[in-house]
Amino acid sequence: MSFKDKIHNPFWRNLDIITFCICMGLALIGWLLVYRVGGGGEEVDAGGSFLATVAGKQTMWMIVAMALFWLTMLFDAKFWETFAYGIYVAAMIGLFLVLFLGTNIRGATSWFSIGGFTFQPSEVAKFATCLAVSAFLGRFNTNMETWRSRFIAFGLIAIPIVLIVAQPDPGSALVFFSFLVVFYREGLSSTFYLVGAFLTANLIAGFVFPTLNIGMVWLGLGVLILGYNLKDKKNKNLILGSLLLILGALSYWKYQMPDQPWALYCAAGLFAGLGFYAWFKEKQGRLFRLLAMAVVVGIGVAFTANYTINNVLKPHQQTRIKLWLTPDECDPHGARYNLDQSKLAISSGGWDGKGLFKGTMTRLDYVPQQTTDFIFCTVGEEQGFVGSVSVILLYLVLLFRLTTIAERQRTTFARSYAYCVAGIFFIHFFINIGMTMGLMPIIGIPLPFISKGGSSLLGFTIMIAVLLRLDSTRKRSLGNLAG
Amino acid sequence: MDVKNEVLYRVYFLLFGLVIPVAVLLVYRSITIGIVEGEEWRNRALLENVIKERTIEAERGNILAEDGSLLATSVPIFDLYFDPYAPSDEDFLANVDSLAVSMARYVDNSYTVGGYRKYLMELRDTAINRSRHVLIKRKVSYNEKRFIQQFPLFNLGQFRGGFIPEKRSERVRPFGLLARRTIGWVLDGATPIGLESSFDEELGGEPGKVMMINVDRRRDLWKPMDDLTAVEPQIGDDVVTTLNINIQDIAEEALLRGMQKHDAQWGTAIVMEVKTGAIRAIANIGRNNGSWLEDYNYGIGKSTEPGSTFKLASMMAMLEDGFVKLTDSVDIENGQTQFYDVTMDDSSPISYRLDSISAYDAFIMSSNVGMAKLVNKHYGEKTSANNKLGAEAFINRMKQFNLHLPTGIEIEGEGKPLIKEAYSTEDYWSGITLPWMAIGYETRLTPLQMLSFYNAVANNGRLMKPYLVQEIRRFGEPVEHFRPTVAKKKIAEPETISTVRKLLEGVIEEDRGTGHDLRTDRYRFAGKTGTAQVDYERGSRGTRVGGHQASFAGYFPAEDPQYSCIVVINKPRQGGIYGGDVAGPVFREIADQCFYSLMELHRPMNAGPKPVYTTATLPSGDIGRATDFHRILDQLDIQFYGDPATELGVLSAKSDSLMLYRRTILDDQVPNVVGLGLRDALYVLENRKLKVEFNGVGKVVKQSILPGTALRGQTIWLALE
Repeated sequence: MSFKDKIHNPFWRNLDIITFCICMGLALIGWLLVYRVGGGGEEVDAGGSFLATVAGKQTMWMIVAMALFWLTMLFDAKFWETFAYGIYVAAMIGLFLVLFLGTNIRGATSWFSIGGFTFQPSEVAKFATCLAVSAFLGRFNTNMETWRSRFIAFGLIAIPIVLIVAQPDPGSALVFFSFLVVFYREGLSSTFYLVGAFLTANLIAGFVFPTLNIGMVWLGLGVLILGYNLKDKKNKNLILGSLLLILGALSYWKYQMPDQPWALYCAAGLFAGLGFYAWFKEKQGRLFRLLAMAVVVGIGVAFTANYTINNVLKPHQQTRIKLWLTPDECDPHGARYNLDQSKLAISSGGWDGKGLFKGTMTRLDYVPQQTTDFIFCTVGEEQGFVGSVSVILLYLVLLFRLTTIAERQRTTFARSYAYCVAGIFFIHFFINIGMTMGLMPIIGIPLPFISKGGSSLLGFTIMIAVLLRLDSTRKRSLGNLAG
Repeated sequence: MDVKNEVLYRVYFLLFGLVIPVAVLLVYRSITIGIVEGEEWRNRALLENVIKERTIEAERGNILAEDGSLLATSVPIFDLYFDPYAPSDEDFLANVDSLAVSMARYVDNSYTVGGYRKYLMELRDTAINRSRHVLIKRKVSYNEKRFIQQFPLFNLGQFRGGFIPEKRSERVRPFGLLARRTIGWVLDGATPIGLESSFDEELGGEPGKVMMINVDRRRDLWKPMDDLTAVEPQIGDDVVTTLNINIQDIAEEALLRGMQKHDAQWGTAIVMEVKTGAIRAIANIGRNNGSWLEDYNYGIGKSTEPGSTFKLASMMAMLEDGFVKLTDSVDIENGQTQFYDVTMDDSSPISYRLDSISAYDAFIMSSNVGMAKLVNKHYGEKTSANNKLGAEAFINRMKQFNLHLPTGIEIEGEGKPLIKEAYSTEDYWSGITLPWMAIGYETRLTPLQMLSFYNAVANNGRLMKPYLVQEIRRFGEPVEHFRPTVAKKKIAEPETISTVRKLLEGVIEEDRGTGHDLRTDRYRFAGKTGTAQVDYERGSRGTRVGGHQASFAGYFPAEDPQYSCIVVINKPRQGGIYGGDVAGPVFREIADQCFYSLMELHRPMNAGPKPVYTTATLPSGDIGRATDFHRILDQLDIQFYGDPATELGVLSAKSDSLMLYRRTILDDQVPNVVGLGLRDALYVLENRKLKVEFNGVGKVVKQSILPGTALRGQTIWLALE
């Protein structure tokens, strides 16, 4: 790139202004909420320095983030692809070191504390993993249809997950599952997602329902599928009808004696008998084996999940999961307290909210972590339904914009990177807002740009900055390629 | 499916199969939580004590006497509690010893210091006590609370020290039982009565409201949400009554003495200001299991057959109709006559010796026969003289005097008057109703209603509505002023009024008058005695009597009435039954005390010519603080000269004025304090570092150290006389 190019074609000429404005807007909303919740004004009146207040710190972080943004834009776009792995390795070392050198905050050793400011290496790890995964996917010889590529790709996200779970901060680790989005876009087979969905469903069902019941459901489904596929067309309805009757009777028996496995054994016998008939008399072994595997794996996962939640997980982890899946059974004065407060704050906003700075629940520190993880409550209380939906729509527009940017990239690296970023934003958006309303388990991850905190703000800023930098040079990339 | 379509499909799936549904889900939840479940969530928050609305009781207003003295007021009192688990181990252990010392010494003497320490340690032991709300002391005044708040540990505050003062307010009557029933009360579990009840709305103020938010559920800590929904409580208004502390006190004292002397059942005394109808005192005493207390507002609530005090109304009716002149004579048949089959007696023994007396005497001697015969003669039959109305004409006069209407006093429970309708079967009118009504039977009036009537006579025919409250004040500023209300401008012609006033004076002044024993030379008063039979059965062979009710109604001074007063004493058991003997003395006592103690009844002290002072009448040689002399002489308006700059001065009389000389005291010598009062002597001597011992009262006559001796901080001994 010549000097002339730089003069006549500065990066901001190609800056995606929509993305930039949305991010700025979200950050400003966040600043306002932090300012009022943190009581910035009052503390200044009391004679303290503005920088010492919550709002003051946030202001400073926003200036730093702005500087970081422009700085990133001045870097050559090629830098990130070139040094992707280097940055990744550095980030992983950071994650490793924090286990030994970090400060323990709220039970997790996930922070470096330097000179009064704290800093979370997992934020860097997200960005670094985005770069590394994109760089890997951008290689010519990477093909998600080969096991080797799949293994490396999953390895790249497994390392930070393991290191972050060790902190232990399973919430932040969950964010790394967002890379499944980019793998999907880059061609990972749908079968993986179907199997994953099946396992996840069993896992969650296993938390909530007794394993025996899940077993009954799978066996019943299996029996019906087998029965439907029997080659005896003449008596099909009769056979299906009697199977349904038998299953109904077994279900009733199971219902009457919920702790006894006998009905389950009968159902299993029925399934096996029907299956072996289909296998040996009608040569339908493949169907039976597939169904048998699904039933066994499903019951196994459900049982493991049930066993894990009750016997392996620590009590506070158990309650988190129970709170998410079965909130009505939780102690409203204990585990459910935060969630109830959060819902109450949102509901107290009503249609159009109490007005900026007028929310009483959030102003009085009533909702825990209301400037960080639960900041969405503040929006709900002060701006009501209108405000909540506006924020959700802003994120929706941002995600669409990120997808559009991704699809207009000319290089796989840039496209993958955009999807990585979009995925991370999506999962933050979904989990954070979802958890304030009880849709998602309560795990401490911030709402991008809105939540208070330097690490997350800088983390998201650099992700977007790099993306916009890549985007601003996409035409030149084409030129380079063509040239 | 080719690669390009596959990619497009995957992108669309991501956007429309993942992102959009999630966004829709979130919006849906926002709606359900915020709009649909909103009410339920807010209710649940209230139910689960996350937010609660607390009423802040407004401070109740005061009830004041006419002069502003407090009759009833609210004072804050505190119940003190201790949360033994609030302090940290460190704070608790550092302070428990000194706290135990303070508590055992100042708060709970039943404990030793060690015992209290043990008690405090036990409070923090979960095996023994789990309460976080342990009572320390009940009903503590504000000053005590402030004192206890300074104790070690407690001075760390509620959150760190666990000291929980709970404020409430208690109604206090600074004058004790004075006008207890009239002031009344509003209490939980008791019927509200008196002014407290009638003016509950004004006194109560507006309670405030504040939303409280639970800031720490574990410790059950609440703090008010300081938002726009908070409503400040509005302090209740003060009610200024017409009651005069001094007259009220006199009335109660006098009534109680009378009640005790005659061992009566109940009694009441009411004093009313003639010109306005303002009730200056209302005393009520009932006998209750051998003790005397204000158990019912008899004066206002109890309507009874009034007896002879009612004769004033009968006489006024006949005078209004022009049926009698005072000189008309009436045959009293030696004090006994027959109406149909019922016998009527005079209660006065003088009557037995008399045949025919004047109407004037019939009234002042309170002759039942005389009054009844007069009334029966003029109203007993429907003649042309009474427009063929008969008894109806008499009843119309009673209505003209407003005797059939309640007074409408502010407090609830006023007894209803009964004036029978003429010839009404509903009211059980009979042939003997009229003569007996003439002497105050077959009719019912409360003491207050009767007093209003007498007051109207004293007020030249103008009937004033009695009232107890003259003003409502908010923050000391009047917001409502109750002016005297005229209930009827003229209840009778001026000639009638002046005639009956002569009669009423005659009751006291004439030797034959039933109230003659009450007469005094110091001032003139007027009134009428009454002795009614109560719980009687009337028959042809006389009357079986269950008891008597003695009363006296009147006003004073007779020539320019200032106050009217009624005294009713029910069922005196010893020392007489007659109104003049039982109720009259109480009336006199009240009138006497009013006469002496009320400024408006006295002539102003300096209204006469300026007194002439001479050397003999002026004080001379007195020694004291110069500033004191200044004040006293200024107050007495006595001319004096000299303005010494010294502390002490000496008075010296010079013909009709005084000279104030200086008395110099040196700072290094024992001064001469002979002639000084003790206060001045102590001041002078102790300022010079002398120790003073003294004996006796009065002025210093001797001092143990000679004046002029050098000061060395000696002990000086003084003799006073």
